[in-house]
Amino acid sequence: MTHFDWGTREIVTPENKTNKKKAQIIPPQMDLKRRAVNFVKGFDINLSPQQLEELEQVVQRSKETFVRDIGKELTDCRKVVVAAVGDLSKSPGALEHSADLAYSVKSLGGTFQYPLMTQIAKSLEIFVADRTKANMKQLLVIQLHIDSLYVILASRVTGFGTTVEQATVAALSKLSERCELPRE
Amino acid sequence: MSAKIDFSKISFLVVDGDKISAQVVFDTLAYLGATAVQRVKSPNDAFEVLRTQRIDVIVTEWRLKGMDGLEFLDVLRNSINSPNRFVPVIMLTAHSEQRYVTTARDLGITEFLAKPFNAKALYSRLVSAITRPRHFVNTGTYFGPDRRRRQVDFDGLDRRSSDDK
Repeated sequence: MTHFDWGTREIVTPENKTNKKKAQIIPPQMDLKRRAVNFVKGFDINLSPQQLEELEQVVQRSKETFVRDIGKELTDCRKVVVAAVGDLSKSPGALEHSADLAYSVKSLGGTFQYPLMTQIAKSLEIFVADRTKANMKQLLVIQLHIDSLYVILASRVTGFGTTVEQATVAALSKLSERCELPRE
Repeated sequence: MSAKIDFSKISFLVVDGDKISAQVVFDTLAYLGATAVQRVKSPNDAFEVLRTQRIDVIVTEWRLKGMDGLEFLDVLRNSINSPNRFVPVIMLTAHSEQRYVTTARDLGITEFLAKPFNAKALYSRLVSAITRPRHFVNTGTYFGPDRRRRQVDFDGLDRRSSDDK
């Protein structure tokens, strides 16, 4: 429909309708459901609390591997960060290493009953995100995060810890904010 | 009698560079009775598997070396060379902020599972991907499962214009 455009003070005729592609709706693929869902064999769609507990125990089987592997990664990463503190030209490598470590700990800590580690790793991840360089202070902040993670893991602090641990997490976040700039 | 899922009838592909994370998913699937579970570390390896074998469900991490999980999903859903554009994909990631979920959804993810996850959450995503297959929608800008999960009845006036009118 033509209309008067107050901006240009002209009568505007809309262009011909463009041939917009109509949405194509494709029916669901039922083959997988047909093959796997039945009333005889397998696991109930709604698992009982007991089955869920068993399944959770299966997940927890990897807990010791997590503690061992992450412990080693924390040690390795700390060495890289300490080396960068001594030689700032190594800071890009330290940042990359820290970012990988932060993501791993953040994603798995909570699964293995270490949500506090997930919280600290999240703070570290935010701090190192999009950085290619870090100054001395920033590297020390990273090192503090790594040390905190190591202490929690070594002391086996599961759950969210006490008020002391929560205060530590809050302090780390505050410190990160204070040393946030420059971000390059 | 309640419906069951026979996981031995389903083939899985786990794409995850993190050893522990991949192991957790593998252990869970093995416990559920899945016998055909493949593990690869990168999307390139995943495409190799997808080209040679039938895979029913993909469980992938977002953060991968080289091509990341999103690019993998993009190629899988939108490339003309994709081995299977309709395969259900469950994305695991510690990027749980709203913008990440929205991005993954708009690239055609089937299910999204934020890490750290527990067994119940993983199981519910598997159940959803297997028992509740969704329509696929193909528009100029999107190809993937229907993003509208809830079908809500609307009893007001229909004011949406239609080409037929």
